[in-house]
Amino acid sequence: MLARIITGLSAGAAYALVAVGVVLIYKCTRALSIAQGEIGAFGFFIALRWAARGIPGLGWHPARVVTLLIALVVGAALGAAIERLVMRPLVGRPPLDALIATLGVALFLALLEKELFGTATQFAPSPVGEWKLVVLGATLTAPRIVALAFAAGVALAAYVFFSRTRFGLAVRATTGDPTVARLMGIPVNRVYRFAWVAAGALAGLAAALLGPAFGGLTPFAMTKFSLRALAGAVIGGLDSIWGAIVGSLLVGVLEAVVGGQFTTAGASELAVLVLVIATLVARPRGLLGAEGAS
Amino acid sequence: MPSRVASAIAVAVAVGGSLLLGNVKLSILVGVGVTAIAALGLDVLVARTGQLSLAHAAFLGVGAFTAINVGSRGAPWPVAILAAVIVTSAAAILTGLPSLRIRGLQIAITTLAFQEFAEEFLFSRNDVTAADRTLSRPSFLHSDVRLYLFALAALALVLLVRYRLSVTKAGRSFLAVRDIEDRARCFGVEPGQSKLLAYAISGAIVGLAGSVLALKAGSISAKDPFLLLESLQLVAIVVVGGAGSAAGIVTAAVLVKGLPQFSSTIPLTHLRAVRIVPIASAALLVVAIVAAPQGIGGLYRAVGRFLDRRLGARGRARPEPRPRPTDAVAAAHGAATLRLVPRPLPLRMPVPALLEAREVRVAYGGVTALDGVSLEVRRGEIVGLIGANGAGKSTFFNAVSGLAPVKGSIRYRGVELVGRAASSRSALGAARTFQDLGLLRAETVAENVLLAQTWLARYPAAAGIVGLGSALRTERELRRRAGLALELFGLGHLASERLGDLPYGTMRIVEIASAVAAGPDLLMLDEATAGLGPDESHALGDRFLAVRDELGLTLVVVEHHVPLIARVCDYAYCLESGVLIAEGKPDDVTAQPQVVESFLGRADAATGRGLG
Repeated sequence: MLARIITGLSAGAAYALVAVGVVLIYKCTRALSIAQGEIGAFGFFIALRWAARGIPGLGWHPARVVTLLIALVVGAALGAAIERLVMRPLVGRPPLDALIATLGVALFLALLEKELFGTATQFAPSPVGEWKLVVLGATLTAPRIVALAFAAGVALAAYVFFSRTRFGLAVRATTGDPTVARLMGIPVNRVYRFAWVAAGALAGLAAALLGPAFGGLTPFAMTKFSLRALAGAVIGGLDSIWGAIVGSLLVGVLEAVVGGQFTTAGASELAVLVLVIATLVARPRGLLGAEGAS
Repeated sequence: MPSRVASAIAVAVAVGGSLLLGNVKLSILVGVGVTAIAALGLDVLVARTGQLSLAHAAFLGVGAFTAINVGSRGAPWPVAILAAVIVTSAAAILTGLPSLRIRGLQIAITTLAFQEFAEEFLFSRNDVTAADRTLSRPSFLHSDVRLYLFALAALALVLLVRYRLSVTKAGRSFLAVRDIEDRARCFGVEPGQSKLLAYAISGAIVGLAGSVLALKAGSISAKDPFLLLESLQLVAIVVVGGAGSAAGIVTAAVLVKGLPQFSSTIPLTHLRAVRIVPIASAALLVVAIVAAPQGIGGLYRAVGRFLDRRLGARGRARPEPRPRPTDAVAAAHGAATLRLVPRPLPLRMPVPALLEAREVRVAYGGVTALDGVSLEVRRGEIVGLIGANGAGKSTFFNAVSGLAPVKGSIRYRGVELVGRAASSRSALGAARTFQDLGLLRAETVAENVLLAQTWLARYPAAAGIVGLGSALRTERELRRRAGLALELFGLGHLASERLGDLPYGTMRIVEIASAVAAGPDLLMLDEATAGLGPDESHALGDRFLAVRDELGLTLVVVEHHVPLIARVCDYAYCLESGVLIAEGKPDDVTAQPQVVESFLGRADAATGRGLG
């Protein structure tokens, strides 16, 4: 049981990386993005392709550890492009439009992956090595341990960023009231871009760790992983970074425990569904969120 | 209207032409029809309530498998279809359940979770998918043409349901929830219930689509048509087709689902349709949402307008967008009718004041917006509420109408309001307007006046959709009342104009007419003269007096325009920073030094400016 909880925490940590990005985007731009999973997956797909065939033009086959970096950079670049081309024209439109736009991006990226890389599961070697660690009876592979470390790092970075830096304060001001923030001279567009770039990078990171941990990558697989992240974000409270982390860990643990306890296919998916609905009905703003109730 | 004729011809040609196709193609078209119906069901959510479902493909599967399970066990086909509709509707209600508590778009995530659950759990179970069973078609559906006609009939039924929605209270409530969720409660709309109803109807329509698919296939072994990809593609079809446009959505369904099966390559190019169409539809989805939110439907409407302009015998002259003088006799007759509304609670006599607020306190977080305000409004009075911006005037209205968290007591006709749902207060007879318009700008004037009477539409939503006599009678009565209320304010000629196209001052008067149509005893007007010129303000002041006398109303008016207060009000209260600082006859109140100071800053700094 304890071993399952630990395994679940490690998966939850990887979800949390995506979920923090979702919350960052929601806090800064009021848009709910369901494209994060596919943004990260696309980055990692590219990284794997380049590792296998060489970077076009350079002919250099990047080492495995570099695939992590490529996924991160491609994710960040995609985030920047999506923010500039798709999301910024939607500022001021109903929130549903932004949600649908991110859905379109997810669908487009997934189908593009299918077109470029095929539907077969891509073997995804771990970018962080093949070592293992036994923690309290749970055998954790390298990507899982790194995910835990990164999640802790992101939590710490988020705390320092929002409380100790000028730009972090600007982000918080933009969250409060974009119009007023703009009038106060806060570069609102830069805040929006920052949110999407950071979230894209986190998604790339998460994909590079989740892909190997779950035995490969297929188009739409990351949309399914990102469901856990989205569920985590909603459970924790869409406007709370800490909530996203706690919620994602909770989803990871629930999934591992239920999946281990019941052999029926889909038992863990049922558990996630029940948890999301029950949380939203009982506590509409999520565990740590400040808004959302009607 | 040429556009009507043209669209009728286009539909006739499309349907007639399709009947000439061979069996294989007709069978493909049945599949396209299933997708179109599912997309039209999704559109009820997207276009009317502004909510999204990412589980409509899963719902389609729930419907199809229910129909197969029930139908293959010997139940007659109508029972199988009904079962599919009911079970799918229940699944949609389950995913929409949090909408009772939340207002954001988080429900999209619960639908995503349902999609995942259905894929991994439901559709992997043999008892759910009825893998060893076959639904045999009823004998009258054995040929492909007949099945196609059956699918068309189902599509027509869905279009009928969508139409009935648009002309009954359910559809109006959905729009209100989408655009003015909070304020709609003042009309008697229950936002949570409305959203849940929208999920239920949307699910029922998809369930129907699923049962058509079941009748076509007999048994379904692969879960491909019910995967996440398909759910996302349904959203793409709705958006590319144009949310709210049935013609656009059906066209998009034909393009996205039909094209890859009808021809292996895209016409005029060598691109392989099966590979290109899905990815192109995803790209189109993004382009459409950014650059052309009206989608294909918008294109159709543009063509229709063009035809009407070019071929129409005479264009309809736009009516003067301002109120016209009213006929006193007709107005008095209309007023008498509008007063005839049933009240759920007996008036407790003797009640000294119609509205009596005692120590009302409203706090948002650490900010106290109203602090210990006590005031009363007697029957038949016009009471003015004045004060600087942020004094708490609108907050007081919000307290009375149930949109603010109140401590203290607000009694209306002797009944305690604090703790009663906002949506029940219009039935008690309290109506209001908002400082910045609490109506639907995208809808017509008449639709808005109908929406404001939601509490009077006391038929079950289902009765409205089916078109039962009681619902039809009620709707007719509401339309009559809407006409009378508009006439009362000289707005009858604007009934079919889009509210947002009218000048702001006229919109404000439409809002007052809407509030009056709900048959209130107490009408609270929040800065009714904002945005009006001096002449219009003066005319509106006359209307206040006339309305009070004709309708026997009691008015509370928030006003900045002091001469108007002095002219029409019987009594006035002045608020400052959430506290009452003066009350009395309007002239006395506006003469008090602390009131002058509150309005203008320090009295001695007010040189050169007078009140008003």
